Amino acid sequence: MIKFQSVKKIYKPHNVVLNDINLEIKPGEFVSLVGLSGAGKSTLLKLLTREERPTAGKVIVEDTDLDEIRDKDVPYYRRKIGTVYQDFKLLEKKTAFENVAFAMEVSDTDPEEIEKNVPQILAIVGLADKVDSFPVQLSGGEKQRLAIARAMIHRPTILLADEPTGNLDLVNSYDVLKLLLKINELGTTVVLASHDTNLVNTIGRRVISMDKGKIVRDQTHHGRYVI
Amino acid sequence: MTAMTNFKKIIRSAWTNFQRNGYLSFGATGIMALTLILFLGLLSLQFLTSQVVTSIQDKIDVSAYFTADATEDQILQVKSDLESLPDISNITYTSRDQALEDFKARHAQDQLIQDSLSQLDENPLAASLNIKAKDSSQYASIAQFLENTKFRSVIDKIDFYENKGVIERVQNISGGIRNWGLAATFVLAIIAVLVTFNTVRLTIFNQKQEIEIMRLVGASNWHIRGPYLVEGGFYGLFAAAAALGIFYPISYFASGKISSFAPEINLFGYFVHGIAQVFLLVVVLGILLGVVSSFIAIRKHLRI
Repeated sequence: MIKFQSVKKIYKPHNVVLNDINLEIKPGEFVSLVGLSGAGKSTLLKLLTREERPTAGKVIVEDTDLDEIRDKDVPYYRRKIGTVYQDFKLLEKKTAFENVAFAMEVSDTDPEEIEKNVPQILAIVGLADKVDSFPVQLSGGEKQRLAIARAMIHRPTILLADEPTGNLDLVNSYDVLKLLLKINELGTTVVLASHDTNLVNTIGRRVISMDKGKIVRDQTHHGRYVI
Repeated sequence: MTAMTNFKKIIRSAWTNFQRNGYLSFGATGIMALTLILFLGLLSLQFLTSQVVTSIQDKIDVSAYFTADATEDQILQVKSDLESLPDISNITYTSRDQALEDFKARHAQDQLIQDSLSQLDENPLAASLNIKAKDSSQYASIAQFLENTKFRSVIDKIDFYENKGVIERVQNISGGIRNWGLAATFVLAIIAVLVTFNTVRLTIFNQKQEIEIMRLVGASNWHIRGPYLVEGGFYGLFAAAAALGIFYPISYFASGKISSFAPEINLFGYFVHGIAQVFLLVVVLGILLGVVSSFIAIRKHLRI
């Protein structure tokens, strides 16, 4: 359960990026967040990862007010949510296996469990034969699937995807989208920020449109990207 | 996971980082090695000045010369009075006869002096007390004591007033070297920390993205910091090794040059004698410098 209550975010001195956001996302939903660049999509996601704090209002994830999480506990909170970005954010000096294993290592997972789980998740995203490849040796689509594998390794209840297809061609974009839908089917809440009209229109789920920091439309079923 | 495997993992990851950042590691290590060499240089300077000051202080003394009619009893009374002072390290009594013997022996080769002495009916030399103090600052009070003693009438001359200038100058120099040396060490240490800190910051800035990713996947601050601190420790360790490897041969050559004009000073011997302490000091200092610099440098990137 994600809840935004009258959330306002102002970057100093007076750049209002989010204004009076009220939103509720139920567990297991697949939500597309659409809008032009600068509409506030990324900031909304950053509030969810606790990279930013709201200037006013509350952000509540699974009954926890994010403002009440102490700085030193933020890493533990982040392990409960997966994140995927347009620029993949992979460690260039690590192989596909190491990139995923790394996310487990930071939470002090047993090495045996890492050995067992990483190949599994890589197989799920279709990278079974790329285990020892470095990011430079992967295509854009493969990189993003690797990033998704890393995001899912903690079995998070929420997956946040910020323009995950922004750097990908059509075919790869749909591959990534299919993967996100599959993840959602398995019970994970997915929040996808995108300005790719066609992509969003093929999903046919809830679409939230944003403009200039405000939610201008919230279509709960068979949503379409309209500006 | 046990703490041991965790620690091994941190060491390994720090080591890989150290290797993969070839040039920056080299730069940081180099700067820190220079800092440590500077520190060793200051240590040498302190040693040399203290040696010079001690050897000059050893040569300083105060002599009281007695008149010809002073009895030996009176002189010995003055001696024992002086010995009751706390700051005296040594007093030598030279009787008139002894002084003459010494004088003759010293000028045994000089026929003219020997002849002139034999012309005299009476011993022309005075009995004297030669006084050495533990500290050169005490000579003034010793001279004062002699001035006020009840036997002042039989004391012909106290040569403190002739030596006064030299004694004071030595005091000033040794005090100055101590104070300025300390100040210089302090200032240089601050500069060294700043330079090292900046170099390490550059290394960490280079890995900004990695740190960002670690934070995104939920790595705790200590988990992120650990390898960087150890990496900083590696810089310090290698810098210490380099500094010692460069400094010891230099001190060996410098020692040869110094002993050619001041044979009593053995710089290399000093460092060889204290090799265990010097090693420990430099290595600990190096590691501390690296770890502390890393700790400060990474702080900025850990803000959430």
